[in-house]
Amino acid sequence: MPSLKSVKTGAISAMILTSAMMMNDAEALTVYTAGPGSLAKSLAAGFEKQTGVKVNIFQATTGKVMARLEAEQANPQADVLISASWDTAEDLQQRGWLLPYQSPNAANVPAAFKTDAYVAQGISALGIVWNTNSHTPEPKTWQDLTGPAFKDQVTTPDPALSGASLDLLIGLQNGEGEKAWQLFDQLKANGMVISGPNAQAVTPVLQGAKAAVFGAVDYVTYNNIAQGEAVKVIFPENGTVVAPRPMMILKTSQHAADAKAFIDYVLSDEGQQQVAKAWLMPARTDIKAQRPLITEIKLLPVNQEGGSERAAVLKRFATLFGQ
Amino acid sequence: MARALFNGLILLALLVLVALPLLFIVLQALFPHLSEGEWRGAFSALPTLLEDPQLVPMWLGTLKIGLGVALGSLLLGLPLGALRGLFRLPGAALWDLLFLIPFLTPPYIVALAWTLALQRNGYVAQLTGLNFDSLLFSSSGMMLVMTLNIFPVVYFAVSRALMTSGQRLAWVARVHGASAWRAFWQITLPLTLPALAGGVLLAFTLAIEEYGVPAALGARAGLTLMTVGIEQKLADWPIDLPGAASLSLMLSVVALLAWFCQRKLTGSSDVTAVSGKPVSQDAADPGGWQWPMLLLFTGTTLLAVALPLGAMTLSGLLNTLSGGIHTSNLTLRHFAALFSQQGDALTAFSTSIGLALGAALLTGLLGFLIAWRVAEGKTRLLALMDGLALLPAAMPGVVIGVGLILLWNRGFWPVSPYNTLAILLLSYSCLLLPWPVRYVSSALRQLGPTLEPAARVHGATRIQALRLIVLPLVAPSLLAAMMMVFAVASRELVTSLILAPAGTQTVAIFIWRQFEQGSVGQGMAMATLTLLASLSLMLAALALLRGKSG
Repeated sequence: MPSLKSVKTGAISAMILTSAMMMNDAEALTVYTAGPGSLAKSLAAGFEKQTGVKVNIFQATTGKVMARLEAEQANPQADVLISASWDTAEDLQQRGWLLPYQSPNAANVPAAFKTDAYVAQGISALGIVWNTNSHTPEPKTWQDLTGPAFKDQVTTPDPALSGASLDLLIGLQNGEGEKAWQLFDQLKANGMVISGPNAQAVTPVLQGAKAAVFGAVDYVTYNNIAQGEAVKVIFPENGTVVAPRPMMILKTSQHAADAKAFIDYVLSDEGQQQVAKAWLMPARTDIKAQRPLITEIKLLPVNQEGGSERAAVLKRFATLFGQ
Repeated sequence: MARALFNGLILLALLVLVALPLLFIVLQALFPHLSEGEWRGAFSALPTLLEDPQLVPMWLGTLKIGLGVALGSLLLGLPLGALRGLFRLPGAALWDLLFLIPFLTPPYIVALAWTLALQRNGYVAQLTGLNFDSLLFSSSGMMLVMTLNIFPVVYFAVSRALMTSGQRLAWVARVHGASAWRAFWQITLPLTLPALAGGVLLAFTLAIEEYGVPAALGARAGLTLMTVGIEQKLADWPIDLPGAASLSLMLSVVALLAWFCQRKLTGSSDVTAVSGKPVSQDAADPGGWQWPMLLLFTGTTLLAVALPLGAMTLSGLLNTLSGGIHTSNLTLRHFAALFSQQGDALTAFSTSIGLALGAALLTGLLGFLIAWRVAEGKTRLLALMDGLALLPAAMPGVVIGVGLILLWNRGFWPVSPYNTLAILLLSYSCLLLPWPVRYVSSALRQLGPTLEPAARVHGATRIQALRLIVLPLVAPSLLAAMMMVFAVASRELVTSLILAPAGTQTVAIFIWRQFEQGSVGQGMAMATLTLLASLSLMLAALALLRGKSG
């Protein structure tokens, strides 16, 4: 290896490394977030513009974010956490990890979507994603997907990987009891397949390999529709569940004041409009959105919480689908 | 004295790079509350893990896929590698480059590309009406996709070994009356055995620690492999760190067993092919067999490279997936969008390339030194060194990632690479160190034991002998390994996802997020551009090197 070249590359990598270290300055606010990366970015940019405080974002799926949080327990790094699953917030609250804070801007957030330690950033709902070119009749209810027209045409996210998908199973069980399990039985008999997390279930429907997704997160698909994809989001007449996305401040935060200001910003008019732009329902009821709001969707009864119930539902579903 | 110091330095590097992160994973598996900094509840995670009814099927599935892929890679890589190493193949450098492409493309993208191409109403079906849905989503489909992705390790190992050793011994056999086939079977093949065994073993370990393809196809094929099982423990709340750590340890044990098998198989048979006498490196002329050979290479390339790459590029070019393949549905908007996203895509690209270069240089240097030291003797210390250097091949990326967090994100370190790009460099180097070690080891095993002493007798210092004799002789293997390190590191996903400092993106993270947000087109456009850029970089590097040496 020519020595001049290695000196050069060495110098370049050293430069990259030092500049990266300098970027992570101690004064910045660190936000761990699941969900739309573009939203996290625009929120960070807006907040920085308003307050001058730099925001470092770590964005991944809820699972990855929580794994990192858990592994970092010995020396926590995150100030603010935005998760895609309400459960995680409840759990962290029980562990006593959260700093109580009620934002003045949360006044117009419905009581169901805030507690004294966490509050929804935005809300998504689960629905059927249906390919309009698929030569199948437009489904109106979950049961429609068990009909002969949808034989081998349905896919669903893996509830073990998608918290929202598990919420739907629990919602259906709470709403319809054993009838919900008959529905899953029939879906299985009709050839429904399980495929990875949300995006992996939707892509085959976009291409037309499958006609519909049973229980997909809606905002991703609204985004696809805006890009011109021939799909439709359908909220079944018999009801579905919503997935509020909790934000919270970690007790270990060294920048509590900035963290509170960040929550305020996300719940401000400007912040909530950005949430709406990402095709989510804004947490505040007084902000307009370009998509159906929670008042326009029929909801299944809210589940009585219990970790064992989640585990039991997941196990029963996994057994049913032979995984 | 100098030798002891040298060993000490290498061991220190191995300690930091491999042993410590691993130690913390073991500790995490044993002490479930380690991440909180507490030692209580030792061993309490194990019973739950062993009672898991999924454990046995997961094991069997993983072994089945691993063995299938190893066998497939052998069947595909050995003949291709042998032909490449023995004969004057037209466009030899081009084929090498083409077979590097599977490494430049992230496995999850390849799996997604195959899915988009082969599933019902996929690209192949849209163009030809043929539908491979049921083949793709089965365990044979998984093996096929993984084999086509992994076989180049065998190809490179075999072809490089043959090129280093030359055909001199086989010619001797021919002169003494052996048929060409017999010379190959009894001389050439045994000579390449260490490299072949190393390559096949690497294929096996790569297959069992692969995450992308099992994650993309596994659920539909009804198979949960170990890596996916480990990911699942980390994917939904509550996170099961101890469970993931224990599963990973089990996986590592399998890979270690494979490594012991390889040592047992090839350890006693030392072969010397490079003895210092002048060797004419001229490969044989294939004569009339040139065309069938080219046909074989073309066919493999079409299947392993052109088809997934075509599907990838096409997905980047289609305006909408639901629009299908029509000229009216073609657009460059996904490519254009990459340049307009506040420079995100470009930053991600330069970050990845810089890290990959760093990892290639670091692992190349360290790997070469380790392989050279290990080849010199059979002491327990050297075996330990060898074992440590190869161990990461058995560790799934996600676990190395968690291990590095557990190790470095502690209050007691005065300085820590955590939350800087250095942690990514550490993780890539840890993950990829086995490559140079393996490739250089198998090349070193063919060097005559007298070459270095001869140089020393003639007054060369140890370092001079190393630099002027040993290094040039193993350079082709080392370079090939470093290219692979570069290729893999430039698109590494799993540890990047978990370790990237807040606010930093690599290419793989960028693409992954596009997919997560339903922008398949943009993810694929980025994958295509990155592939083209990395390929040109490699070509340029090759041209530079060739210019220097010639």
